[in-house]
Amino acid sequence: MTSTDRPAQNRRSTRTEIIEARPIQLDGFVEEWPEVGMIAMESPYDPEPSIRVEDGVIVEMDGRERSDFDFLDQFIADHAIDISAAEEAMALDAQEIAARVVDPRVPRQDILHLTRGLTPAKLLDVVESMNVVEIMMAMQKMRARRTPANQAHSTSARDNPVQVAADAAEAALRGFAELETTLGIVRYAPLVAIALQVGGQTGRGGVITQCALEEATELELGMRGITAYAETISVYGTESVFVDGDDTPWSKAFLASAYASRGIKMRFTSGTGSEVQMGNAEGKSMLYLEIRCIQVAKGAGVQGLQNGSISCIGVPGAVPSGIRAVAAENLVASMLDLECASGNDQSFSHSPMRRTARTMPQLLPGTDFVVSGYSGVPNADNMFAGSNWDPEDYDDWNTIQRDLKVDGGLRHVAEKEVLAVRGKAIRALQAVFAGLDLPPITDEEVDAGIYAHGSEELPERDVLEDLKAAKGVMDRGITGLDLVAALEKGGFRDVAENLLHVLRQRVSGDLLQTSAILDGDFSVRSAINDANDYAGPGTGYRPSGERWEEMKRLRHVLSASNPEQEVE
Amino acid sequence: MTSTETGRPERTAEITEKGPAERGEREDEVVLGISPAFCSFFTKTISNIPLAEVLREVMAGVEEQGVSLRIVRVKDSSDLAKIAHRAARLSGSGIGVGILSRGTSMIHQKDLAKLSNLELFPQAPLLTPETFRAIGSNAAQYAKGESPAPVPVQNDFMARPRYQAKAALLHLKETEMIEPDGGIVELDVSIRRAGS
Amino acid sequence: MTQTGDRHLDPAVDYPLSSRRPDLLHTPTGKHIEDLTLDAVVAGDLSPLDLRIAPDTLLMQAEIADGAGRWQLAENFRRAAEMTEIPDERVLAMYNALRPNASTGQELADLADELEREYSAGRTAALVREAADVYGRRNLLAAADD
Repeated sequence: MTSTDRPAQNRRSTRTEIIEARPIQLDGFVEEWPEVGMIAMESPYDPEPSIRVEDGVIVEMDGRERSDFDFLDQFIADHAIDISAAEEAMALDAQEIAARVVDPRVPRQDILHLTRGLTPAKLLDVVESMNVVEIMMAMQKMRARRTPANQAHSTSARDNPVQVAADAAEAALRGFAELETTLGIVRYAPLVAIALQVGGQTGRGGVITQCALEEATELELGMRGITAYAETISVYGTESVFVDGDDTPWSKAFLASAYASRGIKMRFTSGTGSEVQMGNAEGKSMLYLEIRCIQVAKGAGVQGLQNGSISCIGVPGAVPSGIRAVAAENLVASMLDLECASGNDQSFSHSPMRRTARTMPQLLPGTDFVVSGYSGVPNADNMFAGSNWDPEDYDDWNTIQRDLKVDGGLRHVAEKEVLAVRGKAIRALQAVFAGLDLPPITDEEVDAGIYAHGSEELPERDVLEDLKAAKGVMDRGITGLDLVAALEKGGFRDVAENLLHVLRQRVSGDLLQTSAILDGDFSVRSAINDANDYAGPGTGYRPSGERWEEMKRLRHVLSASNPEQEVE
Repeated sequence: MTSTETGRPERTAEITEKGPAERGEREDEVVLGISPAFCSFFTKTISNIPLAEVLREVMAGVEEQGVSLRIVRVKDSSDLAKIAHRAARLSGSGIGVGILSRGTSMIHQKDLAKLSNLELFPQAPLLTPETFRAIGSNAAQYAKGESPAPVPVQNDFMARPRYQAKAALLHLKETEMIEPDGGIVELDVSIRRAGS
Repeated sequence: MTQTGDRHLDPAVDYPLSSRRPDLLHTPTGKHIEDLTLDAVVAGDLSPLDLRIAPDTLLMQAEIADGAGRWQLAENFRRAAEMTEIPDERVLAMYNALRPNASTGQELADLADELEREYSAGRTAALVREAADVYGRRNLLAAADD
């Protein structure tokens, strides 16, 4: 370049100014710093795979002697890795394993026989040899359940149970299989969890609900049958961060059995970036540490895992290949035969294009829960600090499903149906509150709740009275059975039946098996009776029949028989 | 908009170390603990507020309540709870404030458990100069035995995509600046406008 | 606790138990799953205990998980079967005792003994003993007061 080509100082092109004004510029990006773990994957500081077994015990793993094992190493070596499969699997070249994982002709079961014998560093090598399309190909085959599903958040910036009930009902009606809530004021939990359950069973019987809280409280609500499953059981990839979270793999394994002992479905949660975010990544890549988390979940005997960075998505999202790492961590969970609730559940980018692109590696191949927290309330009301998707995106989601013929679990519902179910949910909650002697829900609240988009459109509740009543729910020992009785007494016999069906499930334990959800007719669909059978073109799950007809419907579609009208 | 864009000359802080910090005797003081790289390696918060400005606002907030302020640097930790709790234990009133270079702040009291606090401001990107003044003011009111209303904090669900990785990077850098044997030193701080 | 070994549950045939083998499903209170009706709720004939899973059912689900090649999940269900007898509050307390730096080595040893003695929970006790051993090596036991 000659000196005359040099631009004038401070003068910028119109194009640069336009580009600078784009939403993407508000996102944060950082350079890699592998020495401290600020790197998504392919770090020079991750260990080389190795394994040595003596007398049926792993005495060396990934270059570390047993005497130097931290507690994750030991838990993984003793509980996650199948020693009988290890020698053969570890002897294979990582790229060869990856090729088999991607190859549709190699059955999923054959892959599981290999992966159960791999160490964290070897699993890392396997997925590092894949590009993002290969990761998606592999996910299509490796996810546990044949039919994909989706999960919604239903929360309120004011912890307003009326809003939660209405939005839970709408979300259930739109097709979500699981609903999750959490709180601004934790003491509100019992009332909001009741609202979620009542709203959910009104929208679609068989939807299952959870309330994300501190571990012990979450378990208590589950034991009482106010919630039906649990998810926020966090695990971490380094010992120091795990201990900071006040748990160990053994305490979490105990907790997993505690849930199962009450017939309650549960999964763990982890994700890339949490360790470096807490400043204790021990110089390892985000993906390597996440693979350790996944193997802890496997070893604890929990049926599934929510991962995909989750609340730390801003960290892998800011470094090169970070979203590929997130897709890889979902895949590793599926390669270890765990149910995978695959993230996409936290505000991720200011750029709508980037938000959409980030979800493709889960939506296109399908996962057990594509979004593990699609916000069923406007993001301003999302008490998980915002999701990557919210109600304003419902029609975009439905259109993407229809364009690509991929099943993201949702469907278009006409407004009159939505309003009807929202109204019924709030009235059912009104009856339950009356029946249990909780602070009344007024008819004004019912009316506002039906038509509201967000919490600011609802009359404010008497928070102190609600909190007192919430404490009363716990002190009085209210259980799911009391909700059933109150619903029946209030004239909502069908909703009462729905809730009782869900509660009865815990007697059978069927929901405890991998990737279990309940269908509209309360039949269980899990990785046992709905096992993924993808084996290449023409096989596996493909939208068809009634479901595909449902997916074709959008808000505005011109009628072919009369193009002056839209299809109903 | 940051103050560098207002056209006014930036404030700078002149900081000199006076030796190991000691426990104060005055009951009407607040101790502010700053992190290892505050106003040394780092010059501004995560949202580009000059750290000299942060110091000035906290100082002003405390002084407006008629309470005096001592400033110390905790050189051996980048853990906010530790910094704030140590400041509180050095304070004659038992009230301390901790601030990390990225802006994350906490008001602490010496008799509380380290992992507890009086007020925590975890979302550094949402803190404004006014928030820092209010933090100083509230700390001073606690020191006088009053019960001020907590400083209101904003919430912004898009702070994560913008700042989460930067926050992690700043924390890692600050941690790298720790002097394990540095202890806590008392500081002399004067704030000037550049050029004045 | 009854044994499930002679039932030979086949995941492909017998799952879901609720629709394929309701004959095998009872509550810990001895009720049949089909007795859990709305009319029974309204009549006040059901208590929360009637909506609990029986240890035998967890052993059946363990057999199904094993049949599907998921041995860790099966082991979890077997520990869970042992834990059905432990009251809710005691389960929560045991979990808290297993958190890092929460218990001394002796306290964890006592907990393991209690699990075996009071609840015949041998597998769960083994998990607790293993934790005590690792916590000792990794310096995660509470310091003994005396």
